[in-house]
Amino acid sequence: MEELPKSAQIPPEAIQAETTTSAPIPYLQFKVALLLALTLVLSVAFVGYVLYARGVFETTQSVVLVSDDSEGISVGMPVTFAGFAIGRVQRIELGDDAKVRIRVTVSQRDAHWLRVSSVFTIEKALVGGTRIRAFTGVLSDPPLPDGAVRPVLRGDATDELPKLVSTMKALLENLQSMTSADSNLQASLGHVNTVTGRMAGRSGVLGAVLGGDENARKVFGALDRANKLLDSLGGVSARLDQTLAKTDERVFGKDGVMDETQQSIRQLNAVLGDVRESLKKADAVLADAQKIGANARAATDDLATLRAEVEASLRKVSALIAEINRKWPFARDTELKLP
Amino acid sequence: MPIRALNRALAARLDAIAAWAAGWWRVFHFGATALVVACSPSAYDRATSNLMARQVYFTALQILPGFALVCALLSYVVIRIVILAAGSYGLADYALNIVVRVLVLELIPMFVALFVALRSGAAINTEVALMHIRGDLEALQRAGADPMRHELVPRVVGSAVSVFGLTVIGSSLALVIAYLAMYGFSPGGIDDFTEAVGAIFSLAVTLGLWLKAVFFGLAVAILPITASLEVPREMRYAPIAVLNGMVRLFLALALIEGASLAFKYI
Repeated sequence: MEELPKSAQIPPEAIQAETTTSAPIPYLQFKVALLLALTLVLSVAFVGYVLYARGVFETTQSVVLVSDDSEGISVGMPVTFAGFAIGRVQRIELGDDAKVRIRVTVSQRDAHWLRVSSVFTIEKALVGGTRIRAFTGVLSDPPLPDGAVRPVLRGDATDELPKLVSTMKALLENLQSMTSADSNLQASLGHVNTVTGRMAGRSGVLGAVLGGDENARKVFGALDRANKLLDSLGGVSARLDQTLAKTDERVFGKDGVMDETQQSIRQLNAVLGDVRESLKKADAVLADAQKIGANARAATDDLATLRAEVEASLRKVSALIAEINRKWPFARDTELKLP
Repeated sequence: MPIRALNRALAARLDAIAAWAAGWWRVFHFGATALVVACSPSAYDRATSNLMARQVYFTALQILPGFALVCALLSYVVIRIVILAAGSYGLADYALNIVVRVLVLELIPMFVALFVALRSGAAINTEVALMHIRGDLEALQRAGADPMRHELVPRVVGSAVSVFGLTVIGSSLALVIAYLAMYGFSPGGIDDFTEAVGAIFSLAVTLGLWLKAVFFGLAVAILPITASLEVPREMRYAPIAVLNGMVRLFLALALIEGASLAFKYI
């Protein structure tokens, strides 16, 4: 534009003079020098700033993070502590043990955040890049030495995703089968519905439990009958009470069984006295018999008679005892002591 | 008959390809020669340095205020868009990274190169084409002055210096505006900003940016001058020289940008 007339109109032989003298621009060299100086200063400042930003002027120490997988890790990516970048991945190499060794440089200024108990994680988010983060729980622990080797934990959201999706799918299928029209849950709910409907009906809870009004009516009938039975049982027990009272009276009352028994025993005692007398007599007779001696034959007839009498007495006694025993089963004084 | 037509067409196509290749060969040849001359200190005397200064003045200094304003506005708009978009996707942490990569590494250098190409590149193209057609350059040679050294190399060096300077100024401005747009006037974001800048500008990226700016600056002068010198010396070819020069320049800028991107991201 402005340059066009300048060179186009000048005679060739005057070109040198033309370029130096015809310039109508004041302070041209100074302005251009100023521009060049500005460019130079900005360039140097920028390069200096970039070098500073890349940590060239700081003393650093290194940490080697050992991981199974270097996916998502790139040289130059930051290592953050509490959200602040404190270091940078310097190099990534595959070790002899098939583990990935991520060498991280941490500026000396920020190295005090890392302690021997620090934990390092690699987190891969669903959106955004992978992050390496450092966590220090106990800041009073001794500082991490230069060149320390630390394992790094991987927390990968996308790794878990397929598992999560399949679990969710199974869960949703279960839910679907549970809520479908012919599912057990629906059937149970239907039954609950029927039961609560019956509960609300005439027979109430009993109808619901027994499965219908008909059965409930039967139970009511059974209860009624049981009540009647209990009533009649009450009558029976009253009569039983009366019977017992009478029995008591008959057994222990005046002229009761016990009285008669005592009378029988008294009679027995008398009979036993008679028996003793008879035996004394028999004893005397036997003594006479011994005394008689020789006149044995005549005496033997008497003896036989006597013996028959004794035997008759004994039979009476035994019959009497049997009768007593039959009348009352008391065993008191039933033993007979024969002399 | 058709075979002859085919032959003619083929020959014409081959001629066109040869001319295209020869054109690019002349570009590289002229570029290499200009660089060699530019690198020899004896090429700089009072006259050439004055011409160089004029070139820098017209290419860079004259437009500097307007360029700075446009650059600042463009940067601010792009930064706001990126910050808002990144924030709405929950990627605010990456906004600065994206801004610096997009603006400082790609947009500003390309913007400067196109700005200078459309303004000064077209002017250099027309001027040198007219000098070539009128025979000014041959007259210079007859007078014992090397036209390469006295007329062409100062323009190349001046353009390259201008493009480089404008790129540095524009990029610095974009960085400052990026900081202000992200953190306002508080100095609290300096650590984050430094961290992001340090993460982006690795040695390769910084060298790549520097090389790209230099190549853009050289292309802006070399391609128009070469296109101007290769047309027949008739006035009616002057527009064709400008057309050729501008098309080649645009192609070259696209190629340099593409190569830079490929080098960085592939």
